[in-house]
Amino acid sequence: MFRTLLGIALRNLLASKVKTVVVGGILTFGTVLVLLGASLLTTLDISMAESLVGSVAGHMQISSANGKDKLVLFPSPIDGTEIGNLENFPTLRKRIEAMDEVRAVVPQGFDVAFVFGGNLLDVKLEELRKAHDGKTERYQPVRNHIRRIIEMLSVDLKNVEALTDKEKGDKELLAGIADVRKAAEPAFWADFDENYAERLEFLENKVARMAIGEDMIPIRYMGTDTRRFAKEFSRFEIVDGQAIPEGQRGFLFAKFYYEEVVKHKTARRLDKIRDRLAEGFTFNDAKVSEWRRQNISQYKEITYQLDTPATKIVRQALQSELATKKDDIIELVKDFMDLDADNFAARHKLFYDVIAPHLMLYRIPIGSTMTIRGFSKSGYATSVNVKVYGTFRFRSLEKSMLAGAVNVMDVMSFRDLYGMMTADREAELEKMQQNSGIALVKREEAEDALFGGEGDDAEDAPAAATATGFDEFSGIDMSAGAEGYREALLDRVYNQGDIDGGVVRNAAVILHKRADIARVTEKIMAISDAEGLDLQVMDWREASGMIGKFMGVIYMVLIVFIGGIFGVALFIINNSTVMATIERTREIGTMRAIGAQRNMVLTMFLIESVFLGAVFGIVGAIIGGLLIALLNSVGIPAFNDTLVFLFAGPRLHPIMEVWHVVVAIGLVLMVTGLSTIHPAWLATRVSPVVAMGEGDS
Amino acid sequence: MSETPTPAANSPIVQLQGVSKIYALGKVEVPALLDIDLDIAAGEFTVIAGPSGSGKTTMLNLIGCVDVATAGRVVVDGHDTGELAERQLTRLRLERLGFIFQSFNLVSVLDAFQNVEFPLLLQGGISKSERRERVMDLLRKVGIHEHAHHRPNELSGGQRQRVAIARALVTRPRIVLADEPTANLDSKTGYHIIDLMKQLNDDEGTTFIFSTHDPKVMSRAGRLVELIDGRVADDRVPDAADRAMVPEAPTAHA
Repeated sequence: MFRTLLGIALRNLLASKVKTVVVGGILTFGTVLVLLGASLLTTLDISMAESLVGSVAGHMQISSANGKDKLVLFPSPIDGTEIGNLENFPTLRKRIEAMDEVRAVVPQGFDVAFVFGGNLLDVKLEELRKAHDGKTERYQPVRNHIRRIIEMLSVDLKNVEALTDKEKGDKELLAGIADVRKAAEPAFWADFDENYAERLEFLENKVARMAIGEDMIPIRYMGTDTRRFAKEFSRFEIVDGQAIPEGQRGFLFAKFYYEEVVKHKTARRLDKIRDRLAEGFTFNDAKVSEWRRQNISQYKEITYQLDTPATKIVRQALQSELATKKDDIIELVKDFMDLDADNFAARHKLFYDVIAPHLMLYRIPIGSTMTIRGFSKSGYATSVNVKVYGTFRFRSLEKSMLAGAVNVMDVMSFRDLYGMMTADREAELEKMQQNSGIALVKREEAEDALFGGEGDDAEDAPAAATATGFDEFSGIDMSAGAEGYREALLDRVYNQGDIDGGVVRNAAVILHKRADIARVTEKIMAISDAEGLDLQVMDWREASGMIGKFMGVIYMVLIVFIGGIFGVALFIINNSTVMATIERTREIGTMRAIGAQRNMVLTMFLIESVFLGAVFGIVGAIIGGLLIALLNSVGIPAFNDTLVFLFAGPRLHPIMEVWHVVVAIGLVLMVTGLSTIHPAWLATRVSPVVAMGEGDS
Repeated sequence: MSETPTPAANSPIVQLQGVSKIYALGKVEVPALLDIDLDIAAGEFTVIAGPSGSGKTTMLNLIGCVDVATAGRVVVDGHDTGELAERQLTRLRLERLGFIFQSFNLVSVLDAFQNVEFPLLLQGGISKSERRERVMDLLRKVGIHEHAHHRPNELSGGQRQRVAIARALVTRPRIVLADEPTANLDSKTGYHIIDLMKQLNDDEGTTFIFSTHDPKVMSRAGRLVELIDGRVADDRVPDAADRAMVPEAPTAHA
C-alpha cells in the first residue's frame, strides 16, 4: 500500500510540474537558508567562543553578586562600574581549581587610566637636563634641536597670532606666543649656556606648554596574574619585547592599540596605506587619499623631531629621491608625502630606512617605564609607574579593535591604580610619613597625597596629578623618598600568595576540553550557596554583553527570514494542495467508493506532502551543503573590526554538522506537513457519491 | 467481514423495502426515489432503466452503500445499511461490492495493473504473488493483459472500462454495480462491454446491477427494472419485443 501511495505521490508531483517547480523552489530555498543559517550560527558560536574564551573572558566569569553593576566585558569592560569584589580569592581559586573540569582560575580587573603621551618639547628638555647633569656630549645637539623646534613653533604661531584679536582674544595664548617668540630670538640662545638654569626653567614653564603633541592616551587595561594569563589564554602571544618576568610588575600593550595610538602618526598612516593597497584598494579610495592628505598637512610630525644633523641627512635623501634642488625641509617633506601608486613602495621603504631612525617611532618605547594615572574607586587621583615589557596580541585577532583594545598589566599595579590598599602601599605610606616628617595622616588624605602624583612632598601631591612626562626620559631621582621607593618596586618579585591575596574584581575560569559549562556553573554556585559567598557566574556568552546581543540579532534576523520563507511556502502549498484536492475530487471519491477509508485518503495526502518536503529538503540540503563547502574553502571575509572578532580571524569558514541537515529537513517536513493538514482533511470529506454518475441523480 | 451472517441461498442479496430518497435543494425538497420495494437475487444480471432523472443513479448509490436512504430499509448481502457506521459501510463496499463507473474513474497516475491491484492493497493481507496472479488473471479475462502497464491515458475508452471491470471484480465481490457503463463508449464497444459483463456473470456467478437508457443494452439483461419519476414502473424479463424494439443504431444519450 505504502509503495503504491508513494508511487501516486511521485507521479502527482511529476504530473503538475509548474506547481512542483514553484513549491519545490521555495522549499529548496528555505532549506538552503536554514542550513546556511544553522551553519553560520554554529560556526559563529564556535569562533566567538574561540575569540572570547581564548582572549579575555575564559569559559566563565565569576564575580560578586553584590556589585551594583553587572560584569560586562564588551564593548568596553566596566568603565567605572561597580561590580564588587571577590572575597577571599586564594581559597576560592583553590576550591574551583580542585574540580576535575577546571584547568585554571585567573584573577582579573578591568579599568581605564591615562598616560600623558609625549609633548616633544618636554621630552627634549628632559633629555637636555639629563645631558647637562651627566655632562655628556649629547648636550649640544639636543640644545640645538630644541632651538630648532622653538624657531619652527614661533613661525607656526605667527598665523595663530594674526588670527587672534589683540584686545578680546585669549590673553594667555597671546602671552604664550610672545614667550615662544622671545625664546626663538638669537639673543635667547647666545648666552643660553651661561644662564642655563634660568633659561631651562623659562622653556619648561612658559614655552613647553605651547608645543604640539600633548595629549592624554587613554589606556584600557586588565590587571591580572600575568604569568598565568599568558599561559591559560590560548590565543595570547607576545609580539614585540618580552613577557613580564614572573612575579614582577609590568605592562604589555595590545599590539593593535600600540600601533594605532602610540606609534608615530605619519608612520602609522603609511602602514595603513600599505595595508589597504595590499587589500586591493587604490589611491582613489577615500581612506587612502585622506591618509595621504594628512601626511602632507601634518609634516610637522616629522620636521619638529629632526635635529640639525638629522635634518641634513633627511634633506639629502629627499633631494635625491625627489630629484630636486629644493632646500626647505618642510617643502621636501610635503613633496615626499605626495604619494601615488608608482612611488609608494619606494617612499615607504625610504621613510623607514632613512627618516624613521631619527623619529620617536613610538611615543612610549618598549623597555621604558611610564606613569599611568587613574582614579581610585573613591575618586582620588592615583598613579603608578610601570615598565612596558612589550606588546602582545591574540592570535588571528590581530586586526580586531575589540580584541586589541585591552592592554595587560600586573595585578599589583592594578590594585595600586584602582586604589586598593596593598601591603606595598602600606609600606610606602609608612616610608612617606617618615620622610616627610608627618606622623599622623588620615588615610584618605594619605591616599590622595601619595597616589595623586610623583611629588615627593605630601602637601603638594594632589597638584602633581597633572604633571607630565615619562619617567624614562627624566633622571630618576633616587633621593626622592616615595619616587625612589616606587622605582624599587618595579624590580620586586611577588609570590603567588601576594598576587592572589589582594583584591580581585572578577576571575576567568578556564575549563578542560569538552567540559560542560552548565555543570561547572552548578558546582560553583553550590559552593557559593553553601558558604554564603554570593558569587555570580556567567558563561562567556553572557559575559560578552554586546557581542552576545549581536548573536541574538543575527539569530532574530535569521528567524524572521526563515519564518518568512516558510510562511510563504505554507501559504502556497496549502493553496495548491486545496486546488489539487478539488481537481482530484472524482479520484478521491472513486477511491472512497471502492473501499478506501478516510484514513487512507489522509495518509495519501500526507505522504504526498512529506514526499514533496523530503525530495526538496534533500535537494536543498545538497545545494546548501555544497554552498557551505564552498564558503568553507573560500571563507567569508570579515568586513570590519567587529566581524574579525566574531569570526575569530579575518575570515569565517562555516562548517556543517549533521544536526543542521536534520533541523533543515525536519523544518521543511513540518512546513509541508502543516500546510497539508487542512486540504487533506478536506479530501477526507469528499463523498464517494461524487464518483458516481455524471450529474444524473 | 467474516462475522457477516451468510444469507440463505435463496434469499435476495439486495432488498429495498419502502425506500425513499429525498434531496434538499435549498428550501425545495426533490424526491429522487419514492417508496421503492425491490428484491434482487444473487447471480441476477439486472438492468435499471429509465430516462434521465428517473432515479437510476440514486438507486445504485443506495445499493452501493455510498449514500443512505431518507426512509425505508436497504439490505445488502444481509446488512441493513441504515444501521452501519461510515467505516463499516466503507468496509462493506471494499469486501462485498464492485463498482464500474460511467467515466471509468481510473487513477490516472497508476497503470492498468496498479489500478486493478488497488482494491487488493486496500484490503491488505494478500501476498504480492497472489495479487499479481489475481490481477493478471482478470486482465486476461477482460482481454487487456497486454496493456497491463499502460496508463489510462494510453488506453481507449473501451480498454479503460475493461480495466475498470477488472478492478471491480478483483476483490471477488458479491455484487457489481455499474452506473451507465456504456454511456461514454461507442455502441459497438458498449455491447462488447455488456457481453463481457454478462460472461463474467455467467462464469463467476457475480450479481450485476447496472443502469442504462440504451434499449439495446437493456435487451441483453436478465431482468429489467424500469424507473419513472422515482418509482418502479416496470419489472420484467426482457422478451422478444424488447429485442425487436432495438434499432440498429443506439439512441442518443440523454
